[in-house]
Amino acid sequence: MTLLRQIAIVCVLNFRNLPARFWQSLVIVAGMACVVGVLLAMLSLNEGMHRAYLLTGDPGRAIVVSAAADSESISTITRAVAPIIESAPGVAKDVHNRPIADRGILVSIPGYRKSDHSMRSIFLRGFGPEGSALRPDFKIVAGRMFRSGSRELIAGTGAEGQFAGLEVGDRVIMPDGEWPVVGAFTSGRDILEGEIIGDTDTLMTATRHPSYNSIIVRLTSPSAFDAFKRALTANPALSVTVERQTDWYRKISADFSTFFAEVAYAVGIILACGALFGCLNTMYAAVSARGREIATLRALGYGAFPVAVSVMLEAVLLSVTGALIGAAIAWVLYDGQQDSLGINVFYLSISPGLVELGIVWAIVVAVAGGLLPSIRAARRPVAEALRAT
Amino acid sequence: MKYFPLVWTALSRKPAHAILTLSSVTIAFMLVGLMIGLNTSFERITELVRADRIFVDPRFGGALPLAMARQIAGHDGVARIAAIGVVGGYYQDQKNNVFVIFGDTGRQRTRPEWPVTPQQWKLVRDNRAGVLMSRLQAERRHKKAGDTFVVRAPAFDKADGTRFWAFKILAVTGDAPAWTDGYIEGNFDYYDKSRPPAEQGNASYFELLAANSSRAPAVAHAIERSYANSPTPVLSFTEKEGFAGGTAGGLDVATITREISLAGLVMILFLTANSIAQSVRERFTEFATLKTIGFTDRLVTWLVFLEAAAPSVAGAALGVALAAGLAAQVPRICPPGWGLPAPAMAPAVYIAAAAGAVRLVGTLK
Repeated sequence: MTLLRQIAIVCVLNFRNLPARFWQSLVIVAGMACVVGVLLAMLSLNEGMHRAYLLTGDPGRAIVVSAAADSESISTITRAVAPIIESAPGVAKDVHNRPIADRGILVSIPGYRKSDHSMRSIFLRGFGPEGSALRPDFKIVAGRMFRSGSRELIAGTGAEGQFAGLEVGDRVIMPDGEWPVVGAFTSGRDILEGEIIGDTDTLMTATRHPSYNSIIVRLTSPSAFDAFKRALTANPALSVTVERQTDWYRKISADFSTFFAEVAYAVGIILACGALFGCLNTMYAAVSARGREIATLRALGYGAFPVAVSVMLEAVLLSVTGALIGAAIAWVLYDGQQDSLGINVFYLSISPGLVELGIVWAIVVAVAGGLLPSIRAARRPVAEALRAT
Repeated sequence: MKYFPLVWTALSRKPAHAILTLSSVTIAFMLVGLMIGLNTSFERITELVRADRIFVDPRFGGALPLAMARQIAGHDGVARIAAIGVVGGYYQDQKNNVFVIFGDTGRQRTRPEWPVTPQQWKLVRDNRAGVLMSRLQAERRHKKAGDTFVVRAPAFDKADGTRFWAFKILAVTGDAPAWTDGYIEGNFDYYDKSRPPAEQGNASYFELLAANSSRAPAVAHAIERSYANSPTPVLSFTEKEGFAGGTAGGLDVATITREISLAGLVMILFLTANSIAQSVRERFTEFATLKTIGFTDRLVTWLVFLEAAAPSVAGAALGVALAAGLAAQVPRICPPGWGLPAPAMAPAVYIAAAAGAVRLVGTLK
């Protein structure tokens, strides 16, 4: 108990005279703000993309693609097997007792990014009659839905924001002429929002796609997945991969983003090393500036440990303050900004998880940078420190 | 120069302090060096890609009939053409993406800048199931000439019903500077005859060289227009247009590298400014002594300035040297398929480092 009290007293004393060391302390704060600001700003791209993918998945939906296909684009599901998949056990039915299943195709068409006029691809997805029933987040926000059987398209607000020529009323060059964009939709900031959508059968004719790319079904309940998967994989007439939609997108987003994250961490670590040296420097200076004060405390009977702890806590406090400032700057500059990487449109995100990560980094740097100075502070002989000028 | 001992003594009085300052400056400049280098590399690639090379892709996926090659070759302004087949898949592990590009006999002429000898081109023409593998790819996959190389390509059926594409590596060839991920070059005829009968006679895309690079965009446009209402609409663009807007999948390399560098510089600015302020604070009496024995105000200021400049300049030099060393390692540690160019440790880096150090020193004064 006395130990805790001692620690508290020494720390309070310590924090009280922090203003006297304002400029030195700023080194740690600014250094950590730079480290965490850069780290979080870079990771916000990854986080945003992950988030968009994870939002697209729904544990109550399953996706069926051809065996060993790891993306929809390279998968083929023939018209002949589609009914077998849709009638499998575990698929939910609508009020007309029709399976809630969407036979989809996914093709890419060329487009130009608005920000730099660079040539990109845009995903063009086919919706069957149950396409919107399957996805409760899907909402038309401007214009209207395409008519089934018509050569019409609707564009996600993300696609419309990032790529040129996708506003309601614009016309998109398709293999059989130009199709009008008749509506804009949102779907809860998921990856679908960066795509454009038309009627599956009409699209298949236009793009000469003889078969579907995937079938997405609504399960009667998330727990019905295993029965559904078993029924399809046990059927010798089918050669398909069945995945819960959440797992499917988790896998895709994991493949996608690891490398950029590694670059972000590498840059973060380099910067953190710089900040660490700065922290060491500042804390050594702080300890030597407070030499007599510390010695006086020791002479009054305060232990070495509370003194060491107070030095550490000071480093942690300054470092975490810096991290929070860095995170705040990154949040103001980047959070919620729409961006696109390759074919994906998403919103940069400084999530609470990322801020937490920034704080953990700050604590690690502070502990590493405060350890040696705190030991020095604790071990300096009292008499010598009192004599020193 | 005669004041050097004074500066040196001042620095060496607190060696730990001086070394720590030097270390953080070094690290920050290493980062700045890497970032500027990376940016320069991307700029250089954008310059290196050819303005006269045109790609003709199927606009909506699928393939283009080989017969189109003859029509396109007859287009005004087209000098050379090659039909290309592509097989994409992975090697051993799903994460190990591989693309094999199969060029026909015209490929040698549409890739004149590639460091591939006529003998090597002949090798791949004469050995149908063989490939040329660039050094970067060979190193990454631990392959040498004579090895076999099997690509599993789930989306590329073969006539024999399998999806395994096996190749013999004929030679390991030099890397093309603008082709930062290396290349694996195969034989188009082998590709074509390996596909299921229904899919034979098609190319994945065509690549051409225009007779005149300034007219290339117009030629590309004309080709695109002439197929606009055909059963096979195409997307036709020059290599330069294809690279516009950065290469790293749409990442704005210039902005990212600039912002990271800025953060690094801000950090050392605070650090160095503080370290010098601290050393001045601690030595008021010493400066007073110097003045008493006849040092002018100016001279004392200069001494302090030099003291601050020493670790900054040394740190900048060390940091840039470290960055240069690291830069050489970048392509080797990148995962396959990414193709990040080695940061070119261009003069820009050295100039920036010098400018950074000077500016830093300026603010301290």
